[in-house]
Amino acid sequence: MNSLVHTFEGASAMRGFPRADGRKGIRNYLAVAYLVECAHHVARKIATPYDEDGVQLIGFPGCYPSAYADRVLTDLCTHPNVGAVLLLSLGCEEFQRKKLKAAIEASGRPVELLTIQQCGGTAATIQRGRAWIEAQLEELKVAPSEPITFADLVIGTKCGGSDGLSGVTINPAVGRAVDLLIDGGATVMFEETCELIGCEAHMASRAVTPELGAALRAAVHKADRYYSELGHGSFGGGNIKYGLSTLEEKSLGAYAKSGSRPISGLIKPGVQPPHPGLYLMDTVNDGPVRYGIPNINDTQTITEMVASGCHLILFTTGAGSVVGQALSPVIKGVSNSRVFERLEGDMDINGGTIADGIETIEDVGRHLVEAVIAAASGTPTKSEALGHQEFVLSYKTYEPLGPGCLPG
Amino acid sequence: MKDDAANMVILAPNDNVGIALRDIACGSLARTVSGVAMVAQEAIAQGHKMALGDIAQGALILRFDVPVAIATMPIAQGHLVHVHNVASRYLTNSEDHYE
Repeated sequence: MNSLVHTFEGASAMRGFPRADGRKGIRNYLAVAYLVECAHHVARKIATPYDEDGVQLIGFPGCYPSAYADRVLTDLCTHPNVGAVLLLSLGCEEFQRKKLKAAIEASGRPVELLTIQQCGGTAATIQRGRAWIEAQLEELKVAPSEPITFADLVIGTKCGGSDGLSGVTINPAVGRAVDLLIDGGATVMFEETCELIGCEAHMASRAVTPELGAALRAAVHKADRYYSELGHGSFGGGNIKYGLSTLEEKSLGAYAKSGSRPISGLIKPGVQPPHPGLYLMDTVNDGPVRYGIPNINDTQTITEMVASGCHLILFTTGAGSVVGQALSPVIKGVSNSRVFERLEGDMDINGGTIADGIETIEDVGRHLVEAVIAAASGTPTKSEALGHQEFVLSYKTYEPLGPGCLPG
Repeated sequence: MKDDAANMVILAPNDNVGIALRDIACGSLARTVSGVAMVAQEAIAQGHKMALGDIAQGALILRFDVPVAIATMPIAQGHLVHVHNVASRYLTNSEDHYE
């Protein structure tokens, strides 16, 4: 057993639900997934009465076919935190619903597909959907769980609404937590390649092979090129109000979340890291600019990390984001005590104590690991207890991973 | 919070800006735990940057020893370093479209 288990005494309380593919979920959610916007309302009406019973609403709004959405929704419906899936189809959308249903069945999960046009419309579909959920919830409640270790956990990091202190307080504390988790055997991913602009040389120096280093640089250059062509960067608004002057200054703060351990690979949404360690996720479209802004908000890239298997998200904010996420609980840390005091009901961890001279980066990093342990032991995070289920999935295009992205 | 706590941090020795750990009033002392102290020539809000010395137009702004911006005009010691006097070397983002 690794040393982290000994230094974090609560770690032995972590439990997971074993899945057929060997992964273990820290939640046993029932996912209700709409397969086109036209089925969204019906899906929401079905799910809403059970939103405090572990029923999570996800879906894809597009009508036209998308290999990306197909893949991501399949990954999400077979995510370790998901124990059963109800699919909602209108009937005439192009989503390959039978293929998705078959993939969920093959994963060993109960699944039902309701097609509104065949069920007899809105009211009849809602009635059938709720009946199915009620039967499934009984099963999910009694599902057995077993002890898990850090080696079973996949954790994503993300920031939203960064300020001038993010890179001084909470993001370095997340970096410390990431180091501790990786040393304990966990898998961690960071992303936001568009917010790593300016950090690519340092990041490449941490790659486990020169080929991976080149791939990491290329991913950032791709983001730079893409956003330049788009004429829109991931900077502005609250960033400027709270002290950040440029995208590269924001990048430096975002990069601090990745800690100091070697980078083991570059992944794309839906690719599961093959072994423990630290991974960068490339969240910018391949190819020419199309479908508009690649990541319309924080939730979209969190959704992509969840598709790659994240059980939990460490989310940092300066301005005070309140977002959570469907399927994977979010642990929120804030960079300054002023916002913590105003939004304490939403914030799990206050990194402002570092600026106040009360705690160190090490202290707050350990609090974050303790929050991971609590969440993986079944305690709801703040956003989870408040019922947050943010979710966004839209059109994107990715080519397969290039050579050198996953050495070893 | 301790009254005598540092109200500014300098992330690396070569940096030409400090970061305000809390609001620093115009005319008050900005100081770090390592003992650097200088008068703020204008208000530096929490999280914002202050020039540690005179910065020439065209000079790089160094934070944590990493260039994070380029000065678009001369910036005197003790003054706010922000979007009105620096620019990105990557995307242009001079527009504050907040609120």
